[in-house]
Amino acid sequence: MKNSKSNNTYEIKIEDSPLSLAEDIINDIKFSKEKGLLKCVQCGMCTSTCPAAQHSNYNPRDMIERVLEGDKTILEDDDIWNCFYCYTCHSICPVGNSACEINQILKQISISEGKADEKLKPFLGFADSYYSMAIGAIPSNFFEEISEDVPGWWDFRMKLEDIREELGLGTISPPQEVVDEVSTLLDKCGFKKCIDKIREADE
Amino acid sequence: MKQIPDKDIIIFKSCLITVEYPGIESSTKYVFDKLGIEYKILEDQTCCTGLGHYSDVFDQFTTSVLGARNFSLAKKYNQKHFVMMCATCYAINKKVANILNNKSEVREDINEIFKESNLEHLTYEKGDIDSTKNLFHVVDILYKKKDELSKHIKYDLSDFKIATHHGCHYCKVHYDDTIGGYRNPQILDELVEACGCETIGFYDFKRTTCGSGFRQRYANKDLSMDVTKDKLQSLKEDNVDILVHLCPNCHVQFDRYQNYIDDDCKTIHLNIAQFIAIAMGADFNKVIGAKAHTVPIESILTDLKEVE
Repeated sequence: MKNSKSNNTYEIKIEDSPLSLAEDIINDIKFSKEKGLLKCVQCGMCTSTCPAAQHSNYNPRDMIERVLEGDKTILEDDDIWNCFYCYTCHSICPVGNSACEINQILKQISISEGKADEKLKPFLGFADSYYSMAIGAIPSNFFEEISEDVPGWWDFRMKLEDIREELGLGTISPPQEVVDEVSTLLDKCGFKKCIDKIREADE
Repeated sequence: MKQIPDKDIIIFKSCLITVEYPGIESSTKYVFDKLGIEYKILEDQTCCTGLGHYSDVFDQFTTSVLGARNFSLAKKYNQKHFVMMCATCYAINKKVANILNNKSEVREDINEIFKESNLEHLTYEKGDIDSTKNLFHVVDILYKKKDELSKHIKYDLSDFKIATHHGCHYCKVHYDDTIGGYRNPQILDELVEACGCETIGFYDFKRTTCGSGFRQRYANKDLSMDVTKDKLQSLKEDNVDILVHLCPNCHVQFDRYQNYIDDDCKTIHLNIAQFIAIAMGADFNKVIGAKAHTVPIESILTDLKEVE
């Protein structure tokens, strides 16, 4: 954009549209707050009630400021990965914005640009367990650490089938044809491609 | 208040309840049976993707495809409502219903995927499932029946010191639909009171997240445990015997990690359905699923006295 005064004393040049990042967020499938983002007055209520802000450097107010300034370095900011997804900010924002949803969307943009493979790798087991059992409980790569931290947990897990039987509950996983059906859907919607890409980048 | 059903209900299975605290499912069934609530549990329902979704692995589109597939089961089984036992299943499914109903391009893309997969019977039509009228948490159903609870109560649990932890994904995500408030949540307190007990009411950090933070518990454990510790300290100062939950992920965070954080905390952790089932006289092994608990529930719940 060029803006010249009649006497040509100064010229302002803005190369990019500063709101393009905000517009991408507003148009994202996840965003439910329509123009709430653009109404942010930087009051800081989000940060003052945020558990991650109390215990780490994450600052949702600052994240929103940077989004509105079109500062795309926010996509590579490690602190945004500290959000708990507790939605406290979402539930109390006086102008109806949702820092929590915006945080999730920023991460998805970061992931789609291939900038967050390291953040996703420990959690790819959720994809595997959906493909094998159509349920997404805690992935097995965490079992060893849980066993160390939680005495008795592994013994319980070993007895899970018996305990479920005693409680009169059905099988853990749906029937194989259901697992096959959701696997087909996961392939078709591009999910498998994303997961494979992250795994290939790792090899 | 929103219209709450007591029939035409599908109880929506939760992955964490299935593998971590199966007694929450059997206790929910037990309490629903006592209250005459008609429900089905379906073997062809799949997980809402919640844990993977909030670990950023499942994007919103993928989660919505699988959500739409689960919603199609309402038609297949001629039921109207889904009732979630887990706060995250509740939040995820309501979000998916809103997207499917309000974002027509997304709905069309998802239906196209069903068509390409030769699964056209899964096709979602606008309004098939309404986020407010058809999707509930177990606590909503219990709330409607709370005046009937007292006549089924066998044991008097009023000597125990009881506090409540309201899961964030029940209270804070779709807050317009939350019964009992979300800034000072009360629904669990009211349900406990309906069983003839009192809770300690408000306490420091009552509104705060459990601290699991989905990925934080595993990728950022110190941060996760710091947040959980805030609440645990507060419960310890108040000498709380029983913390009542409505979400299995919070339940994992507190029951599994309480002694890891502070070996001196003695609080036991019960889902509201387990709490009510115990008060109704349910068997610890055949209904409550006591063996799944890390902090033994028998350490507090011994010699229960019958209601006079």
